[in-house]
Amino acid sequence: MTQASNTAMLAPPPRRRGWLPAGLGPATPALVLLTLFFVVPVVSLLLRSVLEPSPGLGNYAELLGSSTYLRVFLNTFLVSGLVTTVSLLIGFPVAWTLAIMPGRWARIVFAILLLSMWTNLLARTYAWMVLLQRTGIVNKTLINLGLIDQPLTLVNNLVGVTIGMVYIMLPFVILPLYGVIRRIDPSILQAAALCGATKGQALRRILLPLAAPGMAAGGLMVFVMSLGYFVTPALLGGTNNMMLAELIAQFVQSLVNWGMGSAAAFVLLVATLALYAVQLRLFGTSQMGGR
Amino acid sequence: MTAPYLHIRGIRKDYGSVTAVENVDLEIRRGEFMTFLGPSGSGKSTTLYILAGFQDPTAGDILLEGKSLLQTPSHLRQIGMVFQRYTLFPHLTVAENIGFPLKVRRKGRAEIDAKVRDMLRLVRLEGFEDRKPADMSGGQQQRVALARALAYDPPVLLMDEPLSALDKKLREEIQVEIRRIHQETEVTILYVTHDQEEALRLSDRIAVFSKGVIDQVGTGPELYANPATRFVAEFIGDSDFLTCSVLSSDGRTADVRLGSDFVVPGVPVHGGGGGRSAGALLLRPERISLHRHQPAEAGTLPVTVGGLTFLGSNVHVAATTGWGEPVAVRLPFGHGAIEGLSRGDTVWLGFDPRATHVFC
Ligand SMILES: Nc1ncnc2c1ncn2[C@@H]1O[C@H](COP(=O)(O)OP(=O)(O)O)[C@@H](O)[C@H]1O
Ligand SMILES: [Mg+2]
Repeated sequence: MTQASNTAMLAPPPRRRGWLPAGLGPATPALVLLTLFFVVPVVSLLLRSVLEPSPGLGNYAELLGSSTYLRVFLNTFLVSGLVTTVSLLIGFPVAWTLAIMPGRWARIVFAILLLSMWTNLLARTYAWMVLLQRTGIVNKTLINLGLIDQPLTLVNNLVGVTIGMVYIMLPFVILPLYGVIRRIDPSILQAAALCGATKGQALRRILLPLAAPGMAAGGLMVFVMSLGYFVTPALLGGTNNMMLAELIAQFVQSLVNWGMGSAAAFVLLVATLALYAVQLRLFGTSQMGGR
Repeated sequence: MTAPYLHIRGIRKDYGSVTAVENVDLEIRRGEFMTFLGPSGSGKSTTLYILAGFQDPTAGDILLEGKSLLQTPSHLRQIGMVFQRYTLFPHLTVAENIGFPLKVRRKGRAEIDAKVRDMLRLVRLEGFEDRKPADMSGGQQQRVALARALAYDPPVLLMDEPLSALDKKLREEIQVEIRRIHQETEVTILYVTHDQEEALRLSDRIAVFSKGVIDQVGTGPELYANPATRFVAEFIGDSDFLTCSVLSSDGRTADVRLGSDFVVPGVPVHGGGGGRSAGALLLRPERISLHRHQPAEAGTLPVTVGGLTFLGSNVHVAATTGWGEPVAVRLPFGHGAIEGLSRGDTVWLGFDPRATHVFC
């Protein structure tokens, strides 16, 4: 048996003989798990969204037809886009610095990054609430420095959500970007300099294009994760910039409207999968973040 | 006033407590092909990187036409460079790579296109405009890199072992191209290699690097005929070294003794003081004559044949002196003296003392 499958792996892939591709055998446990924990819940979600409270597409019509709900969709995409952009703007220089830093220092920074990722999400979000509130350390520092007279409103609005989410998402752009930048041969940038390129030209014409796959991989990941984010928007956001996940929670918890909740969740799922498909199309499966 | 075109003056570079190069002093003429030859770690790249502006020297200066380059950042130095590793921009086509130096100088479309065409003709890669570097062989990539480095007509071109990743045949092919391009463009080239054959084939002059200093600068024949140090003698061409004692020396020539009683008079001497000391006598294998019978005149060294190796146009005769030191002789294939020669035979080696050297 072992012998046979070894040979099969070395030989060119055989033509399908039965209905089941030969390679699927070892994947069976994974398929079972996937069915149990993904396909079944998703199908039940879909069913609920078209069956409750009465059969039909009424839930979807209401969801996509009402300006209130559309605002939530729009806001979700806006916040996700903003978080993605800010994460990339901060993440790129950080990843670049990490890539050219001596290994020992880079390891320390990575340890800090990982520690923050492992810290409880709620704890981190509450910490931001404390830091950002009207009498928080951020406002106090700015006032003491004489930069502002009145404390800024930094929580319960878009600013708070963006700060809190960027903080959580940063590692997800830094890690793939770091990987891509590390693989760029420093001599390529030396060559660019001798060709007469200023630092800015080398960045724009060489470094950014070469890092683009990492930016796309990290950016898309952050965008997709942001679309479904709940805790941070709920705690740091205001009432007039609700995100989709909050809406779903409200449908299910406060309104006990499973039909609308399921429909909203399904829309979120479809949007996420569509974006994932775009990513696969652009970069292929194997090259997440590579060349 | 005849200031040299490019003057590398007293360069020294320390990395912490390690001195990578010191006392590097070179005067290079306009249009000259100068090669830095030396083993790995001898400081060739460090010197080149200081010229390129990637490293600042700890001491010394670089003068181009009398003006110091040290305060000029790399991207304004107008120096071209081809690297050891492939450094084409992977996301750009061949034409875009070659046009890059002109693009960042904000040249017009038409000018860039014309120059790219010229450069592709120069490196004989017409028709490759739209290829990506990943779709080309190493040799082709290095030729594109050469075209890119020359695209903005830099007065000085640096090349850091550009062919070391290629196989021998391709390397020789591109060496011919480099020579032709040097002649066509008249650019001043500083070329780094650890391959003596490559250095001899390409260069007007060679600077031999050893452990961070330049041992000697000269044309290939000069270095071969008059090596200043034992290192240079060993590095350029084949060499036999026999231990000897210096009997007497006037600082220019010396009388030396091989074994217990074989005296060689009037040998050019390098290094060391006068007086009695140990040294190494350099013989070039192809300048030794081999005699099957003891010649009438004195001054031939009897040795025992150890074996013959056929090397194409040459035959290599390995032999051992009476006191057990190895010595090699090289003769053209078919030479009368080696007909029927076999292991264990005694032969006599003749050489001109003035064509040998002793290093103390
Ligand atoms: N960035 C560096 N840091 C520390 N030592 C270096 C560095 N670059 C080169 N060296 C040292 O300087 C010496 C000369 O190196 P290099 O110029 O690269 O030699 P070559 O090009 O002749 O092989 C070597 O001993 C090398 O280890
Ligand atoms: Mg080197």
